[in-house]
Parts: sequence; structure tokens; C-alpha cells
Amino acid sequence: MNGDALIALTVGFPPLAGLLCYALNNKTARRLIIALTAVVLIGSSILLYQDGGFEYEPAPIFENMVLVLDLALLVYFLYAGLKNSNWLVIGLAVLQLVPIAYFEFVLGGMAVAPMIVVTDLSIVMSLIISIVGSLIVVYALSYMDEHEHHLHIEKSKQPRFFFFMLLLLGAMHGLVFSNSLYWVYFFWEVTTLCSYELIRHDGTEIAVKNSLTALWMNLLSGVGFVAAIFIGYAFIGSLSLEELTKHSAAPISLLLFATLAFAAFTKSAQFPFNKWLQGAMVAPTPVSALLHSSTMVNAGIFLILRFAPAFRGTALSYGVVLVGAFTFMITAVLALNERVSKGVLAYSTIGNLGLIILCAGINTPLSYAAALTLLVFHSVSKGLLFLCAGVVENRVHTRLIEDWEGLLAKLPTTTIVMVAGMLSMFLPPFGMLIGKWAAIDAISSSPTMGSLIVIPLVLIGSAATTLYYAKWLGHLLVLPQNGKELGEERLPLPYSISMFGLLSLAIVLGAGMSMVLGTLILPAMPAGYYTYLTGGLFDVSTGFGSFLTYPFWIGAIAIFLIGSYIAQKKGGVVKPPYVSGENVPGNPEAFRTTADTQVPIQVSSLFMDNEFSSTRVLSYGVIAGALLVMVMFLTVVL
Amino acid sequence: MIDLASPYTYATITLVVLSPVIGGILMGIDRRLTARMQSRMGPPLMQPFYDVIKLWGKEPFIASSLQPVLAFGYLGFSVAAFALLAFGQDMLLMIFTMAIADLCLIVAAFNSKSPFSNIGARRELIGMMSYEPVMLLAAISIFFVTGSFMVDSIYEINQPLLMFLPLTFLALIPILIIDMKKSPFDVSGSGHAHQELVRGIYTEFSGYTLALVELGHWTKVALLLGFASLFWAQNIVVGAALAFALFFVVLVIDNSYPRLDWKTMIKTTWIVGFLLIIANIAGLIARMVILS
Amino acid sequence: MKWMTKARLKSPWVIHFDCGSCNGCDIEILAALTPKFDVERFGIVNIGDPKQADVLMVTGPANKRNQHVLKNLYDQMPQPKVVIAVGECACSGAIFHNCPNTLGGVDKVIPVDVYVPGCAARPESIVDGVVLALQKLQKVSEGEKVE
Repeated sequence: MNGDALIALTVGFPPLAGLLCYALNNKTARRLIIALTAVVLIGSSILLYQDGGFEYEPAPIFENMVLVLDLALLVYFLYAGLKNSNWLVIGLAVLQLVPIAYFEFVLGGMAVAPMIVVTDLSIVMSLIISIVGSLIVVYALSYMDEHEHHLHIEKSKQPRFFFFMLLLLGAMHGLVFSNSLYWVYFFWEVTTLCSYELIRHDGTEIAVKNSLTALWMNLLSGVGFVAAIFIGYAFIGSLSLEELTKHSAAPISLLLFATLAFAAFTKSAQFPFNKWLQGAMVAPTPVSALLHSSTMVNAGIFLILRFAPAFRGTALSYGVVLVGAFTFMITAVLALNERVSKGVLAYSTIGNLGLIILCAGINTPLSYAAALTLLVFHSVSKGLLFLCAGVVENRVHTRLIEDWEGLLAKLPTTTIVMVAGMLSMFLPPFGMLIGKWAAIDAISSSPTMGSLIVIPLVLIGSAATTLYYAKWLGHLLVLPQNGKELGEERLPLPYSISMFGLLSLAIVLGAGMSMVLGTLILPAMPAGYYTYLTGGLFDVSTGFGSFLTYPFWIGAIAIFLIGSYIAQKKGGVVKPPYVSGENVPGNPEAFRTTADTQVPIQVSSLFMDNEFSSTRVLSYGVIAGALLVMVMFLTVVL
Repeated sequence: MIDLASPYTYATITLVVLSPVIGGILMGIDRRLTARMQSRMGPPLMQPFYDVIKLWGKEPFIASSLQPVLAFGYLGFSVAAFALLAFGQDMLLMIFTMAIADLCLIVAAFNSKSPFSNIGARRELIGMMSYEPVMLLAAISIFFVTGSFMVDSIYEINQPLLMFLPLTFLALIPILIIDMKKSPFDVSGSGHAHQELVRGIYTEFSGYTLALVELGHWTKVALLLGFASLFWAQNIVVGAALAFALFFVVLVIDNSYPRLDWKTMIKTTWIVGFLLIIANIAGLIARMVILS
Repeated sequence: MKWMTKARLKSPWVIHFDCGSCNGCDIEILAALTPKFDVERFGIVNIGDPKQADVLMVTGPANKRNQHVLKNLYDQMPQPKVVIAVGECACSGAIFHNCPNTLGGVDKVIPVDVYVPGCAARPESIVDGVVLALQKLQKVSEGEKVE
């Protein structure tokens, strides 16, 4: 199929479909349109992948459209700030509006040719956005029905919801395909719009408050972009990404990269800009899944990955590493203290993005490949986890991890999928761990002495990650003692498609890691990055170590089969737990205490509340993060 | 990777299959030596095997239908990690496999509603969080010497690892203390006759599930001591002696110290482990810089 | 299976429960574990968990409150198991046998296999009692669980 038609489909079709959903306001029509969009998006991305990289110059009318829409967008942000009397939003909107208006009308703007460049990295991003994104939007069809039913909403706000969800998918595609810094900036701000509108979708006080926080922090990243555009225009003479990503150690280029890194950190919620993502968890779960774990926050990652070859080997690269490493460690530690399920997932997201940024900053071929691996697998696994968390939340009406104990009995299917998703986040033989393993190899083999500082941060973060996931896992898998059978669970079709789809992706991609490397990840590496990361028949090898793929899967399955066989052969009577002899006959989940009363056995979870206070650690973390970002800017002049 | 023609391969496979047995003999030696340190006679060397056989023959009581499968998972993944070590594979992968094994045990313990089991499992998680980074760092320090994460490459350097990484070898002590469930860090569930939270993480296991867990524990000990013996890989006897010396030091520490709390466990393991290994790596780098 | 019986005899794990004893017999049981008598050389370990124990050593008389706990602990022990009543109080209630709250000896609640008399029972008697219990365990094991 024609390249430009595919671009039009991936960028333009979703928003138009969204508008149609909004206009038609009919549930069946919505389902059909979204199913069609999913097919179109996934198909187009796969066709783009088969075509490979190319360049394209769209008609000039699109440039004018972008300008008009951009200014309208900024005016809308200004209006939102004025309506809510939020000075930060007003200030930052003005800080973007005035320079951009000046740039376009007084300075005349800057033409870039070609406007659209599809690189292999963009194709990987496009596949993630299309496949993971479409599955999440399909999931939202059932979720929003249940959500609105639970909140007793009379007049459905779903048309508005799906408009912004689909708009996001289109904007993300525009972002990854644009070659002009100005267009990237425009699509970036459209994603900010979607994030703002979707976070405040429910209209509650806290939703509005958190949406404004998200808005001003994302506008801050926009200001970074405006600064970058001015630097590019005035000092470097080009806004073309192809030009700008050529390697340069000149201070002015480094300043450009630093401002773009700053924008990326804000969008990807690295410390000190983490607050907005944590606040965004009040939004309905599909929003968290789509924007705040697998798609929108990847925009920051994409930017850094795109520009990484340009600042390879400079001190700035190391500045980026420090921000990522620190974020990874501190979010892992903070997640230990978090009681809300989506809060833990938010911390996990920010941390893993930090790990990817760290790998991009280390900027060796191996670390770049590790970053790409982590990017792909994180999007799939984290999206899956959020989807499952959403289903559980809708069924048991609580978000606290402690209240999710024994979920295996109530919601077996969802729990098993969620458990599998969690395992895929931090255990071999899944892809996330292959990425983390390659990252450790890359950090250890990177030529700087600074890796000695980064390694302990990564190891501590990794250990804490295991702790908070395993603790959650343990609580989910408590089986009922009452001899009751596991409950039945019927999942509506959109849930089944999205959850099982993502789970299958995680498993298949993880098992077929060698193929994924060869077909997806290695082609997306920049020119000149010859990596040792190769996929063999039985393993993935970095040249320093080897990670078994198929043999490990076969071994793991064999172990569980043999274990099940032994369990079946020896059998056993299920006995109540040991509570010092005070079991109540007939009620295995209670114990007898004073005056022969019966008390249910309750064990709370481990949150280390007495050991450290997360509010204090957060504030120190934000200060440290801010210092590290300043250090990053300092490296430009050193 | 695996050469099916070589007899060496079959010897290694036998070693892997017999790894629980090796661990059992080590546990027998452990109980005997501990008893002698306490002016007692102590049980016969084969005592652990009598224990496991007896356990296998008990009437099966289980905490849930998932528990036996996970108990076998603990044994199976420990043996898998040992296999990775024996076949000279990636050290990081070996450590991650050990983590899966531990996780099987922890989830099995969480599986029932017993408070003792639950708290023991939480402490075991904290123990894992304590020793895993130190062990990964030890593997990274070995990487600094050999240039590879594969165990195979340790056999190819001309000098024993101990010459390059004496401090890393010492940092194995806290790891071994936590994994062997010895004082001062046996917070999650102690060896026989030292009760912590009744039996801590092992409370709800009985009969054949406990036998599987015991076998898994032995394999882990054999694995860690095997890893320690790599520090003199050139000569198998000296390597075994080194590992045994480490084992002996752990027993002495066990008999000298009372049980401490989990906060002390994390602090001590991280501070001692990180400081020792980073100092070792820095020393290596300094030596490289000076020599060049 | 002869090796299963041999393993059972070589590794009797003990759980010790105090039913309200004055602790005299408990101290003597503890003394049996000390290096002077060193019962660990016979494989005897004081495991506190009934699910993992073979031998239940009970001291003190059974009374209306602790009969539930005693029964519960006995039920939580998997077969094959033996019960040793240590001390006069556990055997028959001794001087408390007709107090309003006591039921008498432990055998009013659970089946007892070995009675070790004495007030307090001496460590040598206790060890003797364990040996008798093991002989019973051997018969049970070879007859493959008569109970």
C-alpha cells in the first residue's frame, strides 16, 4: 500500500473516527467504529513495517492546518487556566503562545523538508501504539459501561471519552512520524490536551485538581520544546530532526538536546516531575493504561532515543543516565510504601521509564538495544496490568492491595491473567527481564567509571521491585480454606480480547525473543550502532553473557508439570492454618480468643510504614531530582 | 552449548541430579559441627536424609492445592539454577533463577492464611531483597575480572579469582548466612531447634511438601557453596576447601551471634556487601590504571 | 518398607505442649535437650509445629479450657504419631485429679501411647519414654498404620 496513505490512516483516521463517535453518540455505532479503527491501525502499522523506512512530503495545506490548530490549542490551554484560576497553567500557556506566535508570524517560521520521515524506530513505536493502544481502547468499551453504571451517570460521557482516546492514538502516530521539530511539538501538545481532558473526565474535584497539575507539568515540557525550537532556528539553522540528530558536541547543540531531554523527562514523569503521573491515577483505568503507561509516556522515551546518537559520548549523556537511574531506584523504594494498587503501578511505570532512559543515556549499542527491548515489553506488560487492575476494581470496588487478598477465589480468570502479567514484569524468561539483564550487561560494560555509581542504584531498584510485586502476588493467591470451589467468572468480550491479547503478546514475544530481536529491535538501531545483542536458536547473547529462551520455557513448564503430577499422586487433605491450637472447628478462617469469641484471621501486608515515611522520601526525591536535572544542564557547559 | 558426545557432559548431568544429595551431606556436616561447637555429640551425618525420608512417608496435609506444586517449584528451580552453574552458563541468569525458586517458596507460604507463615514469607522477601543485589554485584565484579558473565570464562583466566576478588569472597558471607538461615539473619524461618515464628515461612508445610522444601534448601546451599568454590576454579580441591572454609565461618558466626531483626539484616548486608565489593572493583580499576 | 520404618525411628520430631503444668516437667524435658543428655544425637528435634511433628509430649493435667487446644494440636499432627504423657499430672491428674476444672489425665482428651511417671519426671525417664514410644512407632509403621 502507498506510504502516504498509510501515514494518513495512522495519523488521520483515529481522530476522524473519534469525531464520528462523538457526533453519533450511539453505543453500537461506537463499538463498530472502534473495532474498525483497531483493524485499520493494526493493519496500517504492520504494512508500514513491511514497507520499511521512507520519507514523505505532505501538501502545504497541512502545515497551515498544524499552525492554526496549534495556536487554537494554546489558546484553549490559556482559557482552561483562566477558568480554573491556575496561574501556573496561564503562565506556561502564555510562555508558549507568545513565542510561537512571534516565531510564526514575525520570524516567518521555518520550513523543513521532508516533513514526514518514517524511521525504523518510528515503526516500532507505531506498532506499539497501534496494537497495545487499540486493545486498550477496545477494553474501554466494556470498562466505561461498567464505570458509568457504578457511578450512576445518567447522561453518558462516553462519546467525549472515546474522542480523546482515539485522538491520542492519532497524535502519537503524528509525533513519531514527524521530521519537523515544530510538528513534533504540536503533536506533543495534542497529547497533553488528551491527557488533561481524560484525567478530568469524571469531573470530581480531585480529578479536576490533578488534571490541572498534569496540564501545567506537561506545559512545562512544551516550554522546553519552544526553547529548543528557538535554539534550532537561531543557532543551528534547522528544525529537521534528520539534521538535528547528527552527532554534535558543540555546546549549543548540547543545549538543544538538554532542553529536549528536559521536555522528555517531564512527559515521562521522571523525578522531579513525577507528581502529575501519580495524580493521574484518579482517571478511569483505560486512561491510565493508554496514556500513562504504554503510550503517551513513551513519547518522552521516543524523543530521547531519537536524539541519543546525537549526544553520544558527551557528559550530557551521563547527566541523562543519572536522572534515569535515580528515578528507577527511588520509585522502587517508594512503591514499597504504597497501598493503592494503581499507585504501585504508577511507581512501577515511572521507574521502568527511568531504566529505559538510563539505558538510552549510557548510549552504547548494547544499552540502546536493551532500551528498545524494555520499551516494547514494558508497554505490553504494564498495559496488561492496568487492564486487569481495572477489571478487579470494577468488581470489588476497592483499590487497596490489602483488600485484594484472596482474589483468586472470587475472580479466577482475571487474577490468573494479572499474576501472569506481574510475573512478566520481573521474572525470567519473560522479555522485561531479558531487557533488564541486557541493561545490567550494558551498564557493567560501559566505558565510564560512573557505572560504579549507577550499578548499586539499579540493583537496589531491581531488588525492591521484586519485593513489592512478590508481596502483591502472594496476597492475590491466597486460596479459600472453606472448601468452596473457585468462583466462576465471565468476562465480556472486549475484556477477553484485550487481556488475553496482551497476555499472549507478552508470552509469545518473550519466548520468541530471538526473532523479536532480529525483526524488530535490531533494525530500529541507529546507524553506526553495531550491537552484540544477537538472538540464537536457544538463547539471546550479548557477547558477555547468554540468556536462555526456549530451554528456560521448556524447563519451567516441565517443573510445573512434574510438580502438579506429584501433587496429584500424593494428594493431601487441606488443613486449616496453625494458630497455636485455637482453630475454630468448622470455620477454618477464624481463631478462638478471650471469652471463646471467634475472630477472623487477618494478616496485613508489609508496607514498611514505620521504617520510612513516603511523603518525606518523596520531597527529598523531588529535590534530588531537581538537582540532577540542573547537573544535566551544567554538563552542557562543561 | 551442550556436547552430547562428551562424557564430561554426563558427569555434569549426574552432578546436577545429585545436587540435593550433596546439599544434604553438607547439612549433615553442618549439624554435626554445630553440635561439636556446643559440646554435644550431634546427630549422624546421614540425619538429614532420614528426616526427608520420614517426611515423605507422613500422612499428607496440605495448606492448599497450589502448595505442593510451588514446593516442587522451589526444588525444581533450585536444581535448574545449579544446572546453570554446573554447565557454565550466565551468572545473572543463575541468580534470577534462584529468585524464581525463592519466589515459589514465598508464594506457597502466602497461600494459606496463617499469620506465622505470612510474616515468615514477608521476611523471606526482605531477605531476598537483602542478598540479591549483593550477589548480582558479586557477579558484576567477576565480570570486571573475566570480561564475561558466563561461568565458563572463570576457568579460562590464568590466576584464581580469589587473587583478584578477595573482598567479594568475603561479601559472600552475609549472603550465605541469609540463605542458610543461620543467625544473625535467620529471621524468616530457622533451622531445626531454633524456632522463629514457630517455623516461620515453613510453618504450613508438612509431610511431603516439607520434604520437597528441605531438598530445595539443600540444593540452594550446594549452589551457593559451588559458586564460592569458583573463586579457585583452577584446582577443584582447593576450591572445595575454600567453599568449606566459608561454610565453617558461617557456622562459627551462627553459634556466636543471636538472631537480629530484619532492619539490621538489610543494613548490614547492603553496607558490608556493597562497600566490600565496590572497594574491590575500585581497587581493580586503580590497579589497571596504575599498571597501564 | 524397612527403610521408611528405619527413617521414622531415626528422626522423631517432638512437639511439646504444656497443659497447665507447674513447669517442673517442662524444665526436665528441656534438660533432656541440653548437651548433657543431648537427645539430638538420636535425631530428636523440638520442632514447635504440630504439622511437622511425630511425637507429642504433653505435661500438666487436661482441663476444660485447654482440652480444645490439645485436641486441635493432636488433630493437626499427621500420622504416624505417638503421644507421650510426661509427669504425674499428664498421666492421671495427680493431686489435681478431682479439681472442678480439671478433666484428669491427658488420656481423657487424646489417646496416649506412653506414660512417663514422676513429679517431676527425670530426664532419664523421659528419654526412656521416648525409646518406648519409638518402639511403638516401629510396630505401627511395620503394621502400616493400625490406628
